[in-house]
Amino acid sequence: MGDVLDSMLDLMRRLPPTRIEENLDSLLNICPEYADDLLGSVDQPLKLLTDKASGREYLACDYNRDGDSYRSPWSNEYDPPLEDGTVPSSKLRRLEIAANDAFDTYREMYYEGGVSSVFLWDQDDGGFAGVVLFKKIINPDQNPSGEEEEKAENSTGSWQSIHVFEASERGRSAHYKLTSTIMLEMVTKTGEAGDVNLSGSLTRQNEVDATLSDQSSHIANTGRMIEDMEIKMRNLLQEVYFGKTRDIVFDLRSIEGMERAKQQKALQRELVGLIKR
Amino acid sequence: MNPEQRVAAAAKLLVQSPPGEINDCLTDIRVIIDDDNRLQRGIDQALREYNIAQFVTVQAPNADHQIIISDAGLIGSDEDNRFFDPRTKTSFLFDHLGLAASEPREEEVDEDAETFRAALDSAAQEYINDHYRDGVASVFVPSSGKFTLQLVANRYNPANFWSGRWRSKYEIDMDAKTVKGVIYVTVHYYEQGNVQLTTEYTPTLSLPPSAPSTQAAKQLLLQIAEQENTYQSALSDTYQDLGEKRFKTLRRALPMTRNKIDWDKVTGYKLGAELTASRGGNIGS
Repeated sequence: MGDVLDSMLDLMRRLPPTRIEENLDSLLNICPEYADDLLGSVDQPLKLLTDKASGREYLACDYNRDGDSYRSPWSNEYDPPLEDGTVPSSKLRRLEIAANDAFDTYREMYYEGGVSSVFLWDQDDGGFAGVVLFKKIINPDQNPSGEEEEKAENSTGSWQSIHVFEASERGRSAHYKLTSTIMLEMVTKTGEAGDVNLSGSLTRQNEVDATLSDQSSHIANTGRMIEDMEIKMRNLLQEVYFGKTRDIVFDLRSIEGMERAKQQKALQRELVGLIKR
Repeated sequence: MNPEQRVAAAAKLLVQSPPGEINDCLTDIRVIIDDDNRLQRGIDQALREYNIAQFVTVQAPNADHQIIISDAGLIGSDEDNRFFDPRTKTSFLFDHLGLAASEPREEEVDEDAETFRAALDSAAQEYINDHYRDGVASVFVPSSGKFTLQLVANRYNPANFWSGRWRSKYEIDMDAKTVKGVIYVTVHYYEQGNVQLTTEYTPTLSLPPSAPSTQAAKQLLLQIAEQENTYQSALSDTYQDLGEKRFKTLRRALPMTRNKIDWDKVTGYKLGAELTASRGGNIGS
């Protein structure tokens, strides 16, 4: 018999991505003793919360959770409030503030909307780790292009990026390990093609070495690493979502009759034969 | 959760298995539940539900064709699990876990209905051979004056981490003179990820006036071919629309500047202020 956690993760990789939360909940009820491992290993849709102090939105995931509370990257406060909630060291919190500003700029330039959040935490070995999150949703009533788009009327979509990294300093350079997951959901309802739901996620990893002149170098280094990864993964998502899965549909069924195609081929061969003669 | 509740919860996960992956999901669930005896008793109903909903097929006894396991082909009560192959007029017991047919038995059929059923069946075979790779079509007579045509095509490619299934169901009611159809397409792509396409489409069909006749059967299959072609083209257009318009709205390929970000300049505030200034904002400038 295999390992229970591996089996739960394999199962989650097969079951519908549209039902992650519900299915994860089921597995947590079936095997409560694996709760921490499961919650730490399965990427869930990012929750959108509002910072009470600034009114600014931020993203919640397992990395800024302590018990039932989530920490805001803007105020560093937990909601609901926690007296002894885990927070980064003051040195790391300064870097976290700067990283949130930098990635918020990145978000505006690439997403032109949406919400970003960066959370950092100290590691036991003296290094640190972090997660960079982006989420953007498009609703049918928000049609940013402003064009008449009949087919887009009933379509919704969301993009969620989860970039988890570990940083270790080695003198004048730093080594970064990155695991990136992008969840992309596209839904069209009652259009000419009926209901279409194209949803899921892709995960990729990378390791990068970069020079370190001071603490703020971490922001530029992780920034470049994450930007490159998102560019690569955006291409990959495009290929898989709109190329690969469409090809599979056309592999199942052919619009043009295969008998006719066969006959045409036979006819062509015959003609070629006649010409050669 | 008590042991029964754990198995019941696992059964609800099992019925969500993607095309061709139910054995993989069951293997996972066996490890998770770790109680094969209880699991085997508890998932019977779920497997039955899954097999019927997913148009699972089985080699017909004493014949060389596949038959779809369908509610419309059920003989006797639900518990019997005896299904019918109208083409050989033979019923059989179906094992929902082992996916095997056994104990074949000849059945009496309504000869009047059989003529039209056979005409539909033969037109359907011609149609699937023309448009589906690895397609299976079955036509049943669920009750007097009713015909159910189901077709399914599967492509499983675990070596390249993908699978797909196309299901269509057409229910003909001779008294009401209606044909109700529904098409489902499911695709799973899971190389370093989990991406799924699920669709549902209701085509518009009408019962040819000359029904029941061989001519009517052929005309109906022509309508089905046309509707399914229209649907597949519309789905293709939706792909293009989502891929070219909606996807771009979610995230740009590059910033408006057409250059990657100059991270050395980004100290957060600085670039943010520059952006604001370049847009004609006056904060901090």
